[in-house]
Amino acid sequence: MELNNSKIKIKAKNLNVFYGKKQALFDINLDINQKEVTALIGPSGCGKSTFIRCINRMNDVIDICKVEGSVEIDGAEINEKNVDVVTLREKVGMVFQKPNPFPKSIYDNIAYGPIIHGAAENKDQMDNIVETSLKKAALWDEVKDRLNEPGTSLSGGQQQRLCIARALSVNPEVILMDEPCSALDPIATAKIEELIDDLKKSYTIVIVTHSMAQAVRVSQKTGFFHLGKIIEVDSTEKIFKNPANKMTQDYITGRFG
Amino acid sequence: MSGTGHTVKSYEEEMQSLNDNLVMMGSLTESQMADAMAAVIKVDKDSVDKIVKNDGKINELRSVIDNQITTVLVKRAPMAVDLRITISTMKISHDLERIGDLAKSVAKKVKPLPVDLPDELIGSLRRLGDLVQKQLKDALDAYLNKSKDKAIEIWKKDEQVDDLTNLAMNEVATYLQKDKKNLEMATHLLFVTKNIERAGDHITNIAESLYYLIEGEYLEGARPKGKPIES
Amino acid sequence: MTKEQRLKKRYRAEKRFKMYGLISVSLAVIFVLILVQNIFSKGSSAFSRTMIEVEVNYDSSLLELDSPINQNSLKDADFYDLAVESLLKIYPAKDSKEERQILRLFSPDYEFEIKDFLIKNPNKIDQVVPVKITASDDIDQLNKGNFPRDLPEDRRRVSNYQLNIYDNLVEKEKINKKFNNYLFTKGDSRDPELAGIGGSLMGSFFTIIICLILSFPIAIMASIYLEEFAPKNKITDFIEININNLAAVPSIVYGLLGLGILLSVMEFPRSTPLVAGITLSLMTLPRIIIPCRASLKAVPPSIREAALSVGASKFQTVFHHVVPLAMPGTLSGTIIGLAQALGETAPLILIGMVAFVVDIPSSPVDPSASLPVQVYLWSEQAERGFVEKTSATIMMLLGFLIVMNFIAVYLRQKFEKKWN
Repeated sequence: MELNNSKIKIKAKNLNVFYGKKQALFDINLDINQKEVTALIGPSGCGKSTFIRCINRMNDVIDICKVEGSVEIDGAEINEKNVDVVTLREKVGMVFQKPNPFPKSIYDNIAYGPIIHGAAENKDQMDNIVETSLKKAALWDEVKDRLNEPGTSLSGGQQQRLCIARALSVNPEVILMDEPCSALDPIATAKIEELIDDLKKSYTIVIVTHSMAQAVRVSQKTGFFHLGKIIEVDSTEKIFKNPANKMTQDYITGRFG
Repeated sequence: MSGTGHTVKSYEEEMQSLNDNLVMMGSLTESQMADAMAAVIKVDKDSVDKIVKNDGKINELRSVIDNQITTVLVKRAPMAVDLRITISTMKISHDLERIGDLAKSVAKKVKPLPVDLPDELIGSLRRLGDLVQKQLKDALDAYLNKSKDKAIEIWKKDEQVDDLTNLAMNEVATYLQKDKKNLEMATHLLFVTKNIERAGDHITNIAESLYYLIEGEYLEGARPKGKPIES
Repeated sequence: MTKEQRLKKRYRAEKRFKMYGLISVSLAVIFVLILVQNIFSKGSSAFSRTMIEVEVNYDSSLLELDSPINQNSLKDADFYDLAVESLLKIYPAKDSKEERQILRLFSPDYEFEIKDFLIKNPNKIDQVVPVKITASDDIDQLNKGNFPRDLPEDRRRVSNYQLNIYDNLVEKEKINKKFNNYLFTKGDSRDPELAGIGGSLMGSFFTIIICLILSFPIAIMASIYLEEFAPKNKITDFIEININNLAAVPSIVYGLLGLGILLSVMEFPRSTPLVAGITLSLMTLPRIIIPCRASLKAVPPSIREAALSVGASKFQTVFHHVVPLAMPGTLSGTIIGLAQALGETAPLILIGMVAFVVDIPSSPVDPSASLPVQVYLWSEQAERGFVEKTSATIMMLLGFLIVMNFIAVYLRQKFEKKWN
C-alpha cells in the first residue's frame, strides 16, 4: 500500500497536551490522509482519545487541559485563538463511545445542528437535510415512519447510527469516532463498520478503537499510541502483519504488561 | 520471538505445543528420509515396511497441527508475529508431510530393485541423498534457531540439489542406454531420484516459510534452478 | 461452628434485622396516625358552624331609613334596635340581665348578619322572615358536644337560663349546623366563631409568591453559572461551601436578618408579606440552589459533548440541552424549598407577622398573618373554639404541603427524560 499518494488532511506537529501538571501527549506528529480511515489503537489511557479531541478542540471544555503545538486541517492551524470552535466543529464532527442522542425526537436530533448553524431556510430544506443525513447513515429505512419518536427509543446500534447521522447533518469534512462500537453487539458493529467503509469515500475518518480486529477491518492506516507517545504509524496491513516496533508487536499480539 | 510471553497463558501454551509438534514432526521426517535413503543405498528390503508404517505417524501429526492451527485462528485471531507463526507452521507442516510421503515412495521403490545394485548407478544418488538430508537437518535447525541467514543459505543451496539430480539422472540414463533390459530398474531409480529432488523443493518451501515467519516478508527473486535435464 | 450453624445464624440475623426495621416503621406509622387522628378529631368540627334560626321582623320604621329605599340606604342604616328586638323574642326574659344572656347566645356579629340578609333580599322589608344567625362560641361548642353540662353552674360559661333556652330551641328545631365558610373568608377575630384563616391564607399566598419570584430566578441563574460557567478555583469553592453552610443556618437567623436590615435599616412596612417573602427567599435560596445544581450535575456529560460536537456554543449547549433536561429536578427542588418556606414560623414571628390582623390583606404590602403563625397564635388562646381552629389550620397547612410535594413528584416523573 502506498501512503504517499493520498493528500494529507490533518497534520499534527509536536503536539503536547497537559491535564494540569500531568502530561497526556508527548510530541505527537501524525499525518491523517484525506478520504481514508485512520485507526488509533493503544492501551487505555494512552492518549488516543485525547488526541482526537484535539482535532475538534473538544479539550477546550476541560478547564485544566492545555494544548501546545500545532494541528493543521488543510494546512490551516486550528489551535489559534482566533479560530472559531463552532466553525471548526461544523467541519469536524464527532461520534462518541456511548450513543448519546438528545432526549428528543429522531427528527430533532438531526435537525439540531443545521438549526444552530442556520443551514436550512425552510421546513422543506430541513426535511431534506434530515432525510439525506439519515440515508447517509443507513438509518433512513428503519426510522422513516417514526421520525417523531424519541431518539432514545431506538436500539443501541440504531442510536449510534443516529449519532453518526447527526454528525453528518452539518456537512463535516472529518468525522472523529471515539470507540464507536464498544457498546454495541456484533451485528450492530458490523453495520457501523459497513457504514464507515461507505463514508470514507466522502469523509476523512479517524477512529479510536480497542478492537484490533476492527482496526484491521475498517482502516487503511493505523497509529499505535502508548503512554502518550505515538510509537508507530504505518499502513494497517503492515502494522498487523509485520510491525516494525517491538512494542507495537507486543501490544497487538497480546504480550503487553 | 518476543521477550515477553502472551498475557494469556493458555495462548502461550497453545503456541508452544504447536511448536513442539512441528519439531517432533520434523525429526520424524528427518529419520524417515534417512531410513529411506539407507534402504535404497543398501537395497534393504526388510526396512521398507517399517518406513511405510512410520509415515502414518507423520500424517497423524500433520492433522493434529492442522487442528491446532484452526483452533488458534478461531480462538486467538493471531496478529503480527503470531499470525506469521501460525501460517508458516501450517505451510511447513504440509511440506514436511509431503517430504514424509516422498520418503515413503522412495522406500517403496526398494522392493523391485535388484539386490546387487551397481555402484556406478548410485554414486550421485547417494550424494544427492546426503545433500537433501543435510538440507532438511539445516532447515529444522534454522527453524529452531529462527535463523534468517540459514534459511537463505538453504534456499540458495537448492541449486546444488537440482544439479545433483541432473547428474544422477544422467547416470541412470547412461546405464539405461547400455542395455534395454535395465529399463525397469532404471525407471525405478529415476523415480527415486525425482522424489528426492522434490523433497529438496519442499525443503526450499520450508526455508521460504521460515524466512516469512522471521522477516514478515517473502524471499524475493526467482527460485534458484539447476540446469534442465539434458536429453 | 459448622457451616450449617453459621448459615442458620446468618438467617437469624437477617430475620432479626427485618423485624427491627418493621418495628421502627410501624412505630413511625403509629405516631403519624396518632398525630393525624388527633388533628382531625380536634379540627374537623371547625368546618361546621352552629346557627340559630330567628324570626326577624324587618320593620322599616325601626330602621329610620331615608327614602328611597335602596342598597346604599340599607347599608348606612342602623340595624341594632331591630336585631335586638327580634333576638329577644326567641325566649321570654325577666330582666335586662336575662336579656343580655339571650343576646350572648349569638355571636356579636348578629346585627351585621341580619343586615346582610336584608341587603341580599331587599324585597323582604316589612316582612317577618326566618334568618339563621351564627351562635356564640359557647353555644357552638355546646351543640358540637364539647361542652360539659354536668358542671356546677358557677364553673361553666353557660348559665342554666341559657341552657334552658338552648334546649327549648333544640326542641323547636331552631338550632342547626352549616358549613363554616367563615373559616376561609374571615380574618382573625377575638371571637372564635368569627375567626377565619382567610387573612393568613392570603398572607401565606403573597409571601410564597414573593419568595418564588425572588428566589427561583436567582437560584436558577446562580446554579447554572456555578455549575456550567464558573471557573473551578478557590473563589467558587468558597462560594460553594458557603451555600451549603447557608442551607443549614437556622431559619430564625434569617428572621433576625430581616428584622435588622429590612425593617430597621430599609424601613420596609412591618408584618407584611413583602418582608416575609424577602426574608424567606433569603432562607430558601441556598435550599433551591443545592437541588438545582444537583439536577444540572445529573445531566450526563455525553449530552453536553453531543451538543458541542455538532458545533453548539457553550451557551447553546447549556440552554438548549442541559437546562431543559435539568428542569424537572430544578422545579421539584424549588417546590420543596417553597414548601419549607410555607411552613416556616420563626423568622416570620421576628419580622412582626405575629401581629393580630383582622383585615384580609389585598396586597403584599398590607399587614397580614400567615398560616404557620396563625397556628402559633391560636394555639395560645384558651377558648375551645380556637383549639379546633388551630387543628383546622394545621390540616390546611399540611394539605398545602402535601399538594406541593405531590406536584413536585409529579413534575419530576412526568418530565424526567430518560437518557442512557
